[in-house]
Amino acid sequence: MGELRQIAIYGKGGIGKSTTTQNLTAGLVEHGKKVMVVGCDPKADSTRLLLGGLAQKTVLDTIRDEGEDIELDRIMREGFGGTKCVESGGPEPGVGCAGRGIITSINMLENLGAYTDDLDYVFYDVLGDVVCGGFAMPIREGKAKEIYIVASGEMMALYAANNIAKGIRRYARTGGVRLGGIICNSRNVDRELDLLRAFSKELGTQLLYFVPRDNIVQRAEINKKTVIEYKPDSNQAQEYRNLAQAVIDNTKFDIPTPMSQERLEEILFEFGLMSDDYNI
Amino acid sequence: MAKLLDQQRYKCALGAMQTVQAITRAIPILHSGPGCAQKLSDSIGSSGYFSPNIFPCTSINEKDVVFGGVKKLETTIENALKVIDADLYVVLTGCIPEIVGDDTGEVVSRFADAGKPVIYASTAGFKGNNYRGHEQVIDAIVDQYLRKADDRQKGLVNIWADVPYQDLFWLGNIRELERLIAELGLEPNTIFGYQRGIENINRVPKAEFNLLVSPWVSVGNMKKMEKKLGIPYLHYPTLPIGAFETSKFLREVGKFAGVPEEKVEELINRHENYYYYLIERYADMFLETRVMAKQFSVVADAQYALGITKFLVNDLGLVPAGQYIVDDTPKQFREEIKKEFANLNYGLKAEVSFETDAYKIHNEIKKHDYHGYPLILGSYYEKEVVEELFGHYLNISWPVQDKVVLDDSYVGYTGGIRLIEDIYSVAVQRWN
Repeated sequence: MGELRQIAIYGKGGIGKSTTTQNLTAGLVEHGKKVMVVGCDPKADSTRLLLGGLAQKTVLDTIRDEGEDIELDRIMREGFGGTKCVESGGPEPGVGCAGRGIITSINMLENLGAYTDDLDYVFYDVLGDVVCGGFAMPIREGKAKEIYIVASGEMMALYAANNIAKGIRRYARTGGVRLGGIICNSRNVDRELDLLRAFSKELGTQLLYFVPRDNIVQRAEINKKTVIEYKPDSNQAQEYRNLAQAVIDNTKFDIPTPMSQERLEEILFEFGLMSDDYNI
Repeated sequence: MAKLLDQQRYKCALGAMQTVQAITRAIPILHSGPGCAQKLSDSIGSSGYFSPNIFPCTSINEKDVVFGGVKKLETTIENALKVIDADLYVVLTGCIPEIVGDDTGEVVSRFADAGKPVIYASTAGFKGNNYRGHEQVIDAIVDQYLRKADDRQKGLVNIWADVPYQDLFWLGNIRELERLIAELGLEPNTIFGYQRGIENINRVPKAEFNLLVSPWVSVGNMKKMEKKLGIPYLHYPTLPIGAFETSKFLREVGKFAGVPEEKVEELINRHENYYYYLIERYADMFLETRVMAKQFSVVADAQYALGITKFLVNDLGLVPAGQYIVDDTPKQFREEIKKEFANLNYGLKAEVSFETDAYKIHNEIKKHDYHGYPLILGSYYEKEVVEELFGHYLNISWPVQDKVVLDDSYVGYTGGIRLIEDIYSVAVQRWN
């Protein structure tokens, strides 16, 4: 067992952070790693594939119903390959402060001793945009020092990624947090690989891995499983294993250099995304 | 850039609980953390019906931050209605529920049929200081409680002045303003203090006009009432202290209200005769007390800085050095207030600074040559610097640490005499 690597996954809402995180986790488990996944999204859907859809009571629901004097096993479930799964949860939509909720639940996990010595990886799967300080909690106070942004060749995904990079740069100045790279969850957009490479370079980071699009992911999701569990022999399962290997091997951690809106649009233009006469 | 603010002279907007406490049989319900309530409840009194240290508070904690504090607020209001026999319940929100986004208005609206009025004012500290909070409470009463009256009562005048308890002399001041207005043959109506309360609030919409005596506090409230209740207002920016300003005040109010000129002049004469009789008796003392420099500074909110400066120049013939306004006056009012300081008798003008930092104010005072031992009127924070300068010091603005004021007042002819007594009591004690 090496040193514990705490990793936060950010990216635009709907880009596939949870899917990618869970499949990546499954890949790491196959490599014999001990992993904990902490869902930091009020929707509480970050561990569904690992748990086989098992209804998971969130940390905040538990605190609300039972108070703070609870045991760890009330909020932590074991999922695929012995992964530890926790959902932070949040208040009902439109009330309270979800950001503070994440801070509360991560503190609770620490107090209850969830960060055991046998863990190799902890993943924080954080909701879409870093809308306030609470959603930056996993990268504050030296928790997750390693960040991956999930993106695709779509403009809004890159826009969000650039924005998230601004948050990372802020915390990189004071803490040890670094960007480990971009993970492309392909949407089959034209020249996506080239665009993502160029974008990553401009952002002062690397394109860690390009996950191709495959409908098997959706089928696995309907079956409440990761692809690795659902179809271990499929090409896509291998892709996720490769992604896991890329994460294991990664030693390149940078302070990102977010770009201006103009520069971002220039890059998009260069790769044809902004062109209105593009022929398929 | 962040800066260090030394000895600020106000509290946060939630300090508006003192405004509510100044209304007899009104109770503040704080929707805030317990610390806010604890810090603000060191009040030195209330209107007399409830202890200023007893009030409902939601005492919200981390759980309420995460899930929202509306449930706790609802039960707190519910229970307050059960156990506290008040005429008016005013929910005041602190910073936390405002940041978290608790819909206080919606919760309060559930009590529309409670039988007693429940209203709310948004008094998050980040919105400003307790002068603004005071305005929010008045606005809440106007917006959520008062309705436009079908008929208005000729000669009925609502009087509004500065902030209760922040202004140590608020009770005496407002009573004296009432007396002056009554002497003009008008009927004063105020909502704060002894034997005032919900009945007076109910009468507000019937008034012929609103009279605001303040440089800037409540100007917004007057505009709101003009728009919603159709009540015109007279804004008299200077707190009338002493004969010159009080006579001017009476003339202006009399003219606005259509009081016959002879009646106003007769009243003024009667008061001035006695006023100058008193001054004359002690004229020698004023002239011979040469140990006190003729130059003075006031360090106070806009109300007292302006009122006292005008009094000391116009009535006593003293010379203004720098004057300091410490209430964080909103920028849109500053030019008008400056003009008032430039409009003194004998062609004198006073330099005025809007400054909230005591360090800077005290440096300015130390740098200035007052041509002798100065007279400084200010808060308790000025005591030390005045001692360094062997000056004459009178504590007239918050915080006040060296006197107890029950209903003393500096307003009107009598108030001017009181202020002279207080100032020269300091001067004559010098050689004791």
